[in-house]
Amino acid sequence: MIELDGIEKTYTNGDVSTPVLKGVSFGIAPGEYVAIMGASGTGKSTLMNILGCLDKPTAGHYCLHGIDMVNLEDDELAHLRNHKIGFVFQQFHLLQRTTALKNVMLPLIYADQYPDDAEERAAEALSTVGLADRLDYSPSQLSGGQQQRVAIARALINDPSIILADEPTGNLDSKSGAEVLAIFQRLHGHGRTIIVVTHDREVAEHADRIIVMEDGRIAEEISVAAPLDAEEELKSLANGEDAQ
Amino acid sequence: MRVLRIAGEGAQALAANKLRTFFMMAGTIVGIAALTVIMAIGKGTEKKVRKQVETFGPRAIMLIAGGGKDLPPPDMNVTTLRLEDAQAVREQIEGLEMVSPQAWRFNMDLKHEANQIQAVVWGVEPNWHDAWSWFAVEGDGIAADDVATMARVCVIGSSVKRDLFGGADPVGQTLYVNKVALMVKGVLERKGTGGMGGVSDFDNRIIVPITTAMRRIMNVDYVGAIRIVSKDTALMPRQVMAIRDLIHERHHITPPQEDDFRLITPTVIGDLARGTSRTLSLLLGALAGLSLLVGGMVLMNILLISVAERTKEIGLRRAVGATRRDVFLQFLTESLAVTFLGMLIGTAMGWAVSVVLSKVSPMPVVVSWEPFALAAVFALLVGTFFGVQPARRAARLKPVEALR
Repeated sequence: MIELDGIEKTYTNGDVSTPVLKGVSFGIAPGEYVAIMGASGTGKSTLMNILGCLDKPTAGHYCLHGIDMVNLEDDELAHLRNHKIGFVFQQFHLLQRTTALKNVMLPLIYADQYPDDAEERAAEALSTVGLADRLDYSPSQLSGGQQQRVAIARALINDPSIILADEPTGNLDSKSGAEVLAIFQRLHGHGRTIIVVTHDREVAEHADRIIVMEDGRIAEEISVAAPLDAEEELKSLANGEDAQ
Repeated sequence: MRVLRIAGEGAQALAANKLRTFFMMAGTIVGIAALTVIMAIGKGTEKKVRKQVETFGPRAIMLIAGGGKDLPPPDMNVTTLRLEDAQAVREQIEGLEMVSPQAWRFNMDLKHEANQIQAVVWGVEPNWHDAWSWFAVEGDGIAADDVATMARVCVIGSSVKRDLFGGADPVGQTLYVNKVALMVKGVLERKGTGGMGGVSDFDNRIIVPITTAMRRIMNVDYVGAIRIVSKDTALMPRQVMAIRDLIHERHHITPPQEDDFRLITPTVIGDLARGTSRTLSLLLGALAGLSLLVGGMVLMNILLISVAERTKEIGLRRAVGATRRDVFLQFLTESLAVTFLGMLIGTAMGWAVSVVLSKVSPMPVVVSWEPFALAAVFALLVGTFFGVQPARRAARLKPVEALR
């Protein structure tokens, strides 16, 4: 479904060109859970921007559902992002002074067809992430973990092909982080394609496959034989609290 | 519709930041309010001007004795304007319908039997009735014979009939002015109160043949004014010049020597009626222009700051599918919604001020629908002009940069 072929990205600032991606090729099949791992400066954020169709590569091809995004106009990319990609960011990026429900409905605003049951769908997405009782809360009234779950609900609202998460647990404590990862695993269980970009090996090991980035290239591809189970971690965290 | 959904996003952003929205709106409110008041005063003034020109006579030219810049009411202290001047105007100026010299005196004692009142005595020629379209409703008006024979007759106003004759039929009765006995020929149509320079009773007067007034009552050989009526308004500018030249010549005046007469035309009357309204309108116009300009600039700056502040929001919107056009539209909507709301509040305020103004000041004020249309146009212009730049800047943000 996702096909990257010789992706290069070079940033030019005046006379100085900095190559960030130096020929990255891989594919992701529908329903896969893939982690892209690397330290900062390895080009993983740039790769994530390209995967999310937020930026175009300098060279190479990126086919999503057989469409090469390299040839698309800005408006067409926006359309593609709206339909095919659900974003989850490290900093949540929720609209302040706006209820959880409205935040989740945001991508529908930009959809071709605004569904009549938009609110019901948003409420359903929020209940999927366990926030059915927080519909009218604004971000400032929610914990970090809850905010990130609102963001996941927002990513789900347009029923995208891929969930693309950039350091989704980066701003969360371990329990909230585990909750988020558990949601991803549950979504994966229902057949969603999930890509998590992270520097954290432990987070990456919840995926089926890890693509390790180093200096703008793929250094290693690891098939995870037995991914970590976030659900189990949550239980042991709960037990730990009980023990105290 | 997608456009409406995006406009809705703009409206929500405004609602979420009420204080910011208010500051964005302030200039528009003041500007539009001032504009509304100007329109109300302008309309009121034009109505007043039309009415006064109508009263004065749209084709009338008043030749008044005495120089200077002061406008009516004139007095009878200047002795230089004579019946012969009226005759000369009549004979030498073309295209005139009427030339009617008049002499008058205020606060004259009138007596009839035991009653005594004070009234204006007005010496006129028969054409005075036509000149002012003011005729006798009982008995007769002043006739040419009366003037020729210096007849001891008069026509009285309805107030004089009421006050001096107790409302009884006065025709054929006698009244005394300065011990001169005058026979009442008729009663003038009632005109009521009004006139320039405040409230005066038009009907508290008697009119007498001008010769009688000058020789028998006032003992003068001059008149106070000559009312001239042109046949055609188009001829008037030239006629006014010709009359001025004629009187200059007759009175041996060579400019820059000061005139000993004034020529009052409907234009002068209109300017007088506009008077302070014009100054106020100019001031308010400056205020409106300035507040719309400054307000628009404040609006633009707040929007620019807002774009900078909301970079992440814009990035997110782009990420979840907003096109550049969507972002542009949202910010333009915010600008337009602000000015439109400002316009509504501004017109309401301007309307309220106009109503109060019409109650507490002599300023003529007419409230109408036009200011609302004009305000809507201005709001649209200001909102667009000052909103496009910030909206464009927002739309230009790259999603990658914005989300960083």
